[in-house]
Amino acid sequence: MNSNRNTIFEEQASVVAHIHHPGAQSILRLLAPKTAKSAKPGQFVHIRVSDALPLRRPISIMLTNPEKGTIDLLYKHIGEGTKQLSERKVGEVLPMLGPIGTPFDVSDTSKRYVLIGGGVGVPPIIFTADALAGKADVVVFAGSEVEFPFALKPSTFILPGITGNTTLTIASLEERNIPCRLASNAGLYGCYEGHVPSLARDYLLALSDEERSRCVLLSCGPHPMLHAVAKLGRELGVPAQLSLEEFMACAIGGCAGCVVKTIEDGQEKYRRVCVDGPVFAAELLPEFS
Amino acid sequence: MSKPIDLSVNFAGLKLQTPLVLLSGCVGFGEEYTRIEGFSNADVGAVILKGTTLEPRMGNAPHRVYETPAGMLNAIGLQNPGTRYVIDEVLPRLPHHETQFWANANGSSLEEYAEVAAMFDDSPVTAIEINISCPNVKEGGVHFGNDPCMAAKVVAAMRARTSKPLITKLSPNNADIAETARLCIEAGTDGLSVINTLVGMAVDVENRKPVIGNISGGLSGPCVKPVALWKIHQTRAVADKHGVPILGQGGLTTPQDALEFAITGARALGLGTGLFYDPLLCKKVLAGLEDYLSRHEMDSFEQLVGSLKV
Ligand SMILES: Cc1cc2nc3c(=O)[nH]c(=O)nc-3n(C[C@H](O)[C@H](O)[C@H](O)COP(=O)(O)OP(=O)(O)OC[C@H]3O[C@@H](n4cnc5c(N)ncnc54)[C@H](O)[C@@H]3O)c2cc1C
Ligand SMILES: Cc1cc2nc3c(=O)[nH]c(=O)nc-3n(C[C@H](O)[C@H](O)[C@H](O)COP(=O)(O)O)c2cc1C
Ligand code: FES
Repeated sequence: MNSNRNTIFEEQASVVAHIHHPGAQSILRLLAPKTAKSAKPGQFVHIRVSDALPLRRPISIMLTNPEKGTIDLLYKHIGEGTKQLSERKVGEVLPMLGPIGTPFDVSDTSKRYVLIGGGVGVPPIIFTADALAGKADVVVFAGSEVEFPFALKPSTFILPGITGNTTLTIASLEERNIPCRLASNAGLYGCYEGHVPSLARDYLLALSDEERSRCVLLSCGPHPMLHAVAKLGRELGVPAQLSLEEFMACAIGGCAGCVVKTIEDGQEKYRRVCVDGPVFAAELLPEFS
Repeated sequence: MSKPIDLSVNFAGLKLQTPLVLLSGCVGFGEEYTRIEGFSNADVGAVILKGTTLEPRMGNAPHRVYETPAGMLNAIGLQNPGTRYVIDEVLPRLPHHETQFWANANGSSLEEYAEVAAMFDDSPVTAIEINISCPNVKEGGVHFGNDPCMAAKVVAAMRARTSKPLITKLSPNNADIAETARLCIEAGTDGLSVINTLVGMAVDVENRKPVIGNISGGLSGPCVKPVALWKIHQTRAVADKHGVPILGQGGLTTPQDALEFAITGARALGLGTGLFYDPLLCKKVLAGLEDYLSRHEMDSFEQLVGSLKV
């Protein structure tokens, strides 16, 4: 019998807030109490955005509020589905499945988790940081080529290897005492000028060997960024977990539509991103090793 | 109080607790949908496992699935761990007391189909669906299904090696589906699945590439429903004569669709793409059937099957 029985909920999630940001990004707050209560960082939801597009769209969970029963999502409008999602108004109801997927492995609290997110890959990083606040050592690096859809403020944390004008952090992380710095190639004020893995590299190189050996990279973002993170992990001997995306139909493991190639015990396999992932150890992924 | 409505059906010598059958390739190796709270194996008559070949297959490169107007394309390429593994590792873990599990047999030669049948004969699956209509593999698959004589040969080869009910899955791409059905019945099939997916493709205009890694894929969902109903209607002319039941499938996504399939002649009702749209569809379809049957003063689902007036 399946040991995962009754772990995913179908909820009629009503839109509590929907705020649109520059760069075709939106933050959506949904009332989905069961998902809010059981979601783990790295998991996602599968949303029916409109009746015209009955195949659902996968979106990562950015934050949960178990008391209020809400979840927050951040998504970019890239096609018809996300465009239609952006048209949903407060009070409308979206059929949603969640929480889905294998989360980041953050079970070892003696580690330092170095979180690296890019673009709309930032949401699972925020959720992970929030969940680990006060429980494990965490540092966040986030990159964006458009304005960040968050309130930013100067950071009071001093981070090794981070210099000059790289001063800003995400305000909500600062409030939770999570150190963070930002990167962008778009000349955004207070951000490191360059790609976010380079910023993370500066930080990692400034650590002592002992500190670095405790680090684990957790990353989500566009493919070129994940490649750079995987390379960084290999260069410095730091293990990396990557959160991947692939087109999905069922998102519960039924169709094998969402696969990524892995190598396990020397054998090539296709694994399902929806339930075996979306998080995979980088060393299992030939594309990233 | 009125008599409860009997939704069970007799299908190819089997008693199904409901007419709903979860379709091959849409529900993994049997237990994936039980992840969802509210889903119950008790609502389905049978679950058909993912297409299985003698040896393991990796399947096709991504992308493998893509939404299209009123449907979707898929080209999984029969990813499966091989028949031995399914029998030794998968089947023992399934809750056979909750519903029936059927195999979906595939091959690239008559010998392979026969061997898969022989192996599943000695296993807890209660029936074997023969997939001679998979559009997504280079050898075998639909090439068998499009040639009525080859289709019948596959059935005969498997018939010789198993006493379990055989259900042959027919391709809608068949020029004359009724003739293929007739030959398969003569070769010993106990049931017919109508229809498998149609073949289609989609184009990514920015990159000027096919969206699907395999270039073409199987088209399923509401857009194929009218084709499915027509093919069931055509097949029924032959199947009824021999008392061979039809597992109708192709775009059944609402309770209303279920009625259309049953009235046209489907004794069992297949859910595939419909589960992707609504993973809790089973309960809704069963409620819809009960409501319709009581409104029309029928006390069993079987009374509805094939009640089309032409
Ligand atoms: C586990 C997971 C988590 C995700 N989290 C987020 C997130 O937090 N924020 C965000 O903005 N985006 C996220 N995505 C990507 C998001 O699912 C796609 O941007 C979205 O599906 C695009 O749909 P569309 O109809 O607007 O685009 P179209 O390009 O029109 O989509 C066509 C089809 O391709 C699929 N598709 C296209 N791009 C992707 C993609 N990158 N990943 C998966 N399917 C795709 C669509 O689902 C749809 O079926 C995530 C994807 C996955 C797999
Ligand atoms: C993702 C996917 C995988 C499938 N894999 C198989 C398979 O392995 N064997 C098979 O006989 N049919 C397979 N099919 C076909 C379905 O079983 C079914 O016949 C078809 O999808 C039509 O029904 P639907 O419109 O309800 O999905 C697959 C369909 C889909 C969508
Ligand atoms: S989307 Fe169906 S198995 Fe992952």
